Amino acid sequence: MREPPFKTILKPYGEALLTLAQTRPEIVCLGADLTRQTETDIFRDAIPDRFLNVGMAEANMISIAGAMARDGHVVFVNTFGVFCTRRCYDQIAMSVAYPNVNVKIVGFMPGLSSPGGPSHQAIEDVALMRALPNMLVVDPADAIEVRQAVQAVADHPGPVYLRLKRGENPLIFDDDHKFSLKKAHVIRSHKSSDVCIIASGMMLPSALAATRILESKGLTVSIVNVPVIKPLDAETIIPIVQQSGVVVTAENHTIFGGLGSAVAEAMAEEGVPVPLHRVGIRDVFAESGSREYLFSKYGLSTQNILNAVWAGLHLNTPVPVAPVHKTTPGEYAPV
Amino acid sequence: MVAIQGFGYLGQALSSAEIVATMFGGGFVRRGQDKFVMSPGHYVIVLYAVAAELGLLSREELANYGKDAALLEAIGTERTPLFDLVCGSLGQGLSGAVGFALSARLKKSDARTYAFLSDGEMEEGQVWEAAMFAAHNKHRMGQLTVVIDANNSQVDGTVTFVTTIEPLVDKWRSFGWRVEEVDGHDVSALQAAFAKGPAAPEPLVIIARTEILGRMKSIPSTADGHFIKLDKDLERAVLKELEAALA
Repeated sequence: MREPPFKTILKPYGEALLTLAQTRPEIVCLGADLTRQTETDIFRDAIPDRFLNVGMAEANMISIAGAMARDGHVVFVNTFGVFCTRRCYDQIAMSVAYPNVNVKIVGFMPGLSSPGGPSHQAIEDVALMRALPNMLVVDPADAIEVRQAVQAVADHPGPVYLRLKRGENPLIFDDDHKFSLKKAHVIRSHKSSDVCIIASGMMLPSALAATRILESKGLTVSIVNVPVIKPLDAETIIPIVQQSGVVVTAENHTIFGGLGSAVAEAMAEEGVPVPLHRVGIRDVFAESGSREYLFSKYGLSTQNILNAVWAGLHLNTPVPVAPVHKTTPGEYAPV
Repeated sequence: MVAIQGFGYLGQALSSAEIVATMFGGGFVRRGQDKFVMSPGHYVIVLYAVAAELGLLSREELANYGKDAALLEAIGTERTPLFDLVCGSLGQGLSGAVGFALSARLKKSDARTYAFLSDGEMEEGQVWEAAMFAAHNKHRMGQLTVVIDANNSQVDGTVTFVTTIEPLVDKWRSFGWRVEEVDGHDVSALQAAFAKGPAAPEPLVIIARTEILGRMKSIPSTADGHFIKLDKDLERAVLKELEAALA
């Protein structure tokens, strides 16, 4: 594991998809007027025959993708997360999820990572996609995971929603990191811990930062990275949360229907008597603004995780204050 | 099928019988080679009749139409046998047909794609997204033929009562399509129109003007054409009229 502030790289998805498509002629790439923004300009330039810009017509794009997949292609559909979930939900249900075809829906700008306000902020995309039978939901945390996830979802014979950060992607994991569609990634676990933090996607850096602070205060912390929200790897997660004093989930998404809900469902069904605090967007549409401003204001910061732990453990001491990381251009740090 | 159950999508079958018979019986849709999309899944009953006529489904299977656990469901699903894509949610079939046409092109196949749409579906915006895309100069799809059953019927009444979709011919032509407008109960006219499919680089749309109850005189004009209920007297009258027409 690397240390914050993290170095970043550009286009991990676009490069991984192109590399894969060069050896797999069945892969086609569809877009909806956001080619450079979805890193697919390099695919378009290298393999123009298998790249198709459908224009601003996401419903049409999804149904086209469904039919191409029925006919044997592996179709990657690319646009912003809001547009490929909210806008064409019936098409995804009927053309992709129900027939269980090989379409990978790639939605960029998850949660409050877009400065563009509620029209561009996919805060409930995980909930929408989780609700569809046959659909897998993947929310990678860094560029290493993104690269491996592209190969993994292409190998999975069925629909996947892949939720990707746009632009600079942090390098958090070492090169030998293993992404799995089946197993959650246990970063650290203890036989018995004060706190278990479960995080996905862009909240992983905050979860790591919070862990470090909590450990410096003498608490034992288990931390699990869950890039695959559906199917949730309850088999790995449940034994860890069972031995914890409090569970805190952290997701760049509404607290309804995403990672926190998935963990809550698994814990309830297993009868795990441990309090759960969900760090996420609390049933509200946000606004325009920088990531730092939005993550702080809408409850997606390291401080929010620390506050949740303190509340969950009923500690009377002052909550530790999360440090502000200084970054230079090309670096990424948690809020 | 409808007589056995006492209800079903008989109006759709009556308005589209000649169209679908022409496509499958007239040698246009080449089975195993071309793709066929039924966009309004309520019409799937007419495909069951075609499949039985082609010997692909048994008469016994038809008798189970619409019953619990039957293979032949009343609205098309993924279980619908024999056809490439039968949609249930309206307005999505043309996009599917475009996907098949693109797929055939990538595979360097000369397969044609046929899509059956209804006029009520023209109210769904996705139809026009797909229409615009298919005729765009980069991917003009001469291998795509669409037929629209323009029977002026939707759930809440006539299409003209609910909204204005006309002028359909001008609309499709302005989107860059070749347009043929025919009497959808006239088999010769339908054959001539379908025969024009492969002739040009632009996709072809056939606007088939039909009546929701076909030209049946035995069904009262006050009947709900979208979903017909048959009592025994009406069933006898309908069967008598149909048998006389085929004699």
